[in-house]
Amino acid sequence: MREFLFILKGDGLEHLSPQEMQQVIQDYKAWMTNLGDQYLDGQRLENKGAQVKDKNTIVTDGPFLEAKEIIAGFYVIMAPDQDAANAIAQSSPHAGLYTIEVRPLAQPTMRKP
Amino acid sequence: MPAPKQVNALTEHLFRQEAGKLVAVLTRLFGPGYIQLAEDIVQDTLLAATLDWTSGSIPDNPAAWITQVAKRKALNELRRLQTVRKHQDDLTLGQGVTSTEVETIFMDSEIRDSQLRMIFTCCHPALALESQIALTLKTLCGFSVPEVSRALLSSEITINKRLYRAKQKIRNQSIPFDIPSGSDLDIRLNAVCLTLYLLFNEGYNSTHHEVLIRKSLCAEAMRLTRLLTQHFDHRPELQALLALMCFHAARFESRLDRHGAIVIFEEQNRNLWDQQLIATGMSCLKKATTGNLLTSYHLEAGIAAEHCTAPDFASTNWPSIYNQYERLYQLKPSAIIQLNLAIVYSQISTTQDAILRLEQLLHDKALENYYLLPATLGSLYFKTNQRMKAQFYFKKARELTLAQSAIDFFDRQIAACQS
Repeated sequence: MREFLFILKGDGLEHLSPQEMQQVIQDYKAWMTNLGDQYLDGQRLENKGAQVKDKNTIVTDGPFLEAKEIIAGFYVIMAPDQDAANAIAQSSPHAGLYTIEVRPLAQPTMRKP
Repeated sequence: MPAPKQVNALTEHLFRQEAGKLVAVLTRLFGPGYIQLAEDIVQDTLLAATLDWTSGSIPDNPAAWITQVAKRKALNELRRLQTVRKHQDDLTLGQGVTSTEVETIFMDSEIRDSQLRMIFTCCHPALALESQIALTLKTLCGFSVPEVSRALLSSEITINKRLYRAKQKIRNQSIPFDIPSGSDLDIRLNAVCLTLYLLFNEGYNSTHHEVLIRKSLCAEAMRLTRLLTQHFDHRPELQALLALMCFHAARFESRLDRHGAIVIFEEQNRNLWDQQLIATGMSCLKKATTGNLLTSYHLEAGIAAEHCTAPDFASTNWPSIYNQYERLYQLKPSAIIQLNLAIVYSQISTTQDAILRLEQLLHDKALENYYLLPATLGSLYFKTNQRMKAQFYFKKARELTLAQSAIDFFDRQIAACQS
């Protein structure tokens, strides 16, 4: 078992109708219930923030990136291997709305499996 | 380590309904010229809810959460624009709104009031009828532009243009955001009834193939009509309209079989009819007939009531239905009602007489492209075993419809004629 960070990029939700947004939440509920203990953490990121380019340049108050590059949020998921983690990402209600980067965490797990 | 979070459930259509409510509330706050701004803030709020609730948990009271966030965003926007206004004299947005007034506007008791105002604004006679329907769906029913265009079988570009023009007109002609009273109420209520009636028909009679969309159009029309009856409990036309909707909605399930194919009225399973809706319809109809007012909604509801209360097709009270159609024809003479009169006539007279009556209608320009005329002729000729003629008319009907379920139906009839 390994931990994977799912990085959600884009502005996929913005053009959905109220009904479709609610559907995303409902699908998410089913997805998470399905994952059970494999779901470790998740957070949405605020739109605001800063980008520190170097010692002298700080870009604050986005949007400072292209829409498709904006990181909307992340999940930490436990999965046996990369393929399994990819499959979990594909089964998530966010697949298709966001680009999901699936990256294994390098350090040994700090959580009990 | 956080355990998998407990997720509260959302009631069906919560987002759609909250969107409808809040756009009305915020429009009241900003003024009717700022419907777009209200819509933007509501969309932004729902987006925040979706993002938060798919990375955290759903709050205990989701609707209250949504209202709170929308209110905060609206107040921020007001403050921002009030600063801008110092430099722009023509800006009328939220002029003179005190913070107590803002609190009041967001109270539960006032939300219904805002929705009523929104109904009267969206259905203002100065707007084109088709714009009224699109605007109602967009602002009061929480439909997105793609959803409105799918529901009204139109393109997104057309709907966008319609909505844009309607909002411009509301702004430029200073269409008020209020509940009319006095003699003005009669005229305005007429316009509202017509729009809701058409919205319901769009769902009920349209050739739309998506049953879900059609059902939600009917449900929304009923919800708004009910909202109006709660406020104007003494208006017979509203009760009649609601009765009419109840009777038709009661038969919704029986009109299509398990495979989505059309079931003709005579063969519908009456056990599937929603008895509770029929009972509600009857009580509305009773309230509707307390005054002297007789509208086309009264007659249409009366006809539908006869159908709903007949134990089976054969024992339907056809003379009463015929009589009500005749009065309906006097109120609004149309070829469609003539067609219905002829259909009912076939029940109280000989089939051959009804065929003669219907064939006279074939020359009517208004019915030229109406598939139900040849469809009816087809089935009457089939009944009297004149299969060649029956087949001819079924083929004609098939050419005039676009709905897949209707095409399948006519294919089956054509095949039956050939066997």
